[in-house]
Amino acid sequence: MLIFAALPRFGSILIKMMESPAFQSVILKFAFAGYIGATGLYLAHAVGRKPLWLKAAFRIFLIAFGLQTLCLALRWYSAGFLPVTNLFSTQFFFSWALALTYLYFEIRYRIHATGLFVVFLTLLLLGSALPRDPALPPLIPSLDTPLFTWHIIFSFTGYALFAMAFSLGVLYLVQKKLQSDLLPPLATLRKLNEEAIFLGFCLFTLCLILGSIWAHIAWGYYFSWNIKSVWSSIVWLFYAGMCHAKFIRRWQGTGYAWLSIAGFFVVLFTYLGIGLLMQSNHPLE
Amino acid sequence: MLQRIWSTLCSLKLAIILASIATLLAMGGSLIMHFNPEVFGNLDATTLSGWSRSLGKEHPGLSSWFYATGILIILLAINTACCFIDWLTVIKARWRKTGEYLIHLGFVLVVIAYFWGSLAGSRSERNRVGEGEMIPVKGMPGYYLRLDKFEPLLNERGRPIDMINTVSLLEGDKVVKRGIVKTNTPLLHDGLVVTPASFGRLTIGFELLLPSLGKGYRLTTGDAIPFADGKRLVADAFFPDAVRRNGRVFNRSDNVGQPAYLLRLLDNDETVWSGWYFLGRPQPEALQGLGFNPVVRRPVYRTVSYLTINRDPGSGVALVGGIFISLGVLFALFSFYYKRSRGDRPEIE
Repeated sequence: MLIFAALPRFGSILIKMMESPAFQSVILKFAFAGYIGATGLYLAHAVGRKPLWLKAAFRIFLIAFGLQTLCLALRWYSAGFLPVTNLFSTQFFFSWALALTYLYFEIRYRIHATGLFVVFLTLLLLGSALPRDPALPPLIPSLDTPLFTWHIIFSFTGYALFAMAFSLGVLYLVQKKLQSDLLPPLATLRKLNEEAIFLGFCLFTLCLILGSIWAHIAWGYYFSWNIKSVWSSIVWLFYAGMCHAKFIRRWQGTGYAWLSIAGFFVVLFTYLGIGLLMQSNHPLE
Repeated sequence: MLQRIWSTLCSLKLAIILASIATLLAMGGSLIMHFNPEVFGNLDATTLSGWSRSLGKEHPGLSSWFYATGILIILLAINTACCFIDWLTVIKARWRKTGEYLIHLGFVLVVIAYFWGSLAGSRSERNRVGEGEMIPVKGMPGYYLRLDKFEPLLNERGRPIDMINTVSLLEGDKVVKRGIVKTNTPLLHDGLVVTPASFGRLTIGFELLLPSLGKGYRLTTGDAIPFADGKRLVADAFFPDAVRRNGRVFNRSDNVGQPAYLLRLLDNDETVWSGWYFLGRPQPEALQGLGFNPVVRRPVYRTVSYLTINRDPGSGVALVGGIFISLGVLFALFSFYYKRSRGDRPEIE
């Protein structure tokens, strides 16, 4: 009886502990270490071809992703909103979206080390976010809407898929030159690249639609001539063009791989270049 | 011949060429836009047609990319519309592409809506309105917006977190819509969208101490100060920053600079003098001997709300376009996974 009576108290202490920034910081560091471990094992498997390493790599990656997801959930719960309003939290969320994208392709197609670029990007983003202040910033009233939440979710998952397409595009070109048995066949790489572009385009489209509706109710217009909005339209137009280009023989394969690479630079400029170097309505700091 | 023209209009290659050129132009143009804020910085505060007639016309070199991109987007929309119509003719055979073609239709609708709104709409920012005041709605003759109530919401540190405006939209004297306008909650009516922008306070007068009467008075427009022998001094107007030019008095700004009252002296309800009194300056002759020797205690403020009032007749069509695009995306995703689950992935020529 005494145990049952103590349960709610224990639960509230546990939640309080999990909500503390120190606890979240520890989980995040474990997640980061997990991603590094998984990457090392994937690389080792690419060279040594030991099935056990591959199994271990995937499991460690899954655990690391689970820890990062738990941290995201705790931050979301503590804040009461999806915390993606400063550079730390966007890097954190983008790295989570990249890891999710990798998992999608790994589970669906067993791509293993083929998606390592995306994992490297996850490490880079998370690694550069870790030294930053993880404090939850107060929410600006205009961001307090589910439209913002979904706008952000679709935006970063779209970006992550475009990063995956970049990775697959580079590997397609490498494979074409090397014909290595370490990499999947060209046809598979092409198929995966097209899938990444298609899914990225779909999610990014939803991001723009929700962003436009939100802008209309918040500021009275659904399209802003701010540089961020203009470049988001450029990203959309670029990938819309790519979704069409795959139907033209000349652009299939190599051409498509180059377009995937070029497209990711457009995405990088839209996310980082504008957010950090220029004044826009989507500041990162 | 007609068939060839139609094929060109529906051409996939044409779509890619148009989208590519538009993308490249917009990339370069966006940088021109960013580094020339004096030309492009105010684009969100005006309609495209309004901007084209003023700043766009004054800077043809800087704005030429803008028009070129606009034309390319229109051509792309025509190409997309033709493609959609072409698909409708073969819908029975290609119904699985419904998702993709809904996106096409949605895109066409959004482009039409945007240009419609840019040509026939209006934009008006920072419309200042106090409680009980009415302002005309730009672009909608005969319509007025009245602020019935305003309440700023502040957090525990005193920082504003929201602005609750209770507003009424009137057509003549008739209220056609009433509602609350706050962050992410606009007033919408027939393409009209009213959103809160900010709020502030205006100095509308002062609390004055009159040592001769041994009392303090609040003097704003409409207030009066009673004196002995049935005399009264009524404030008919107040300017926080007044200046006299060519015998007339103007208000330079809403900041307190040189405040002045337009006063009227009544003797048993009969006006015996009326004129401007600049606070801190020598009194007009008519007021001397009255005992009106005010000492300013503190300003009297009135809170005002600043509202954005835009009208975009195409916004409804744009929303329909957005819904079509979203539905198209969902259909396309479903169709994609359905085809993949069946191993159905035809090579495309």
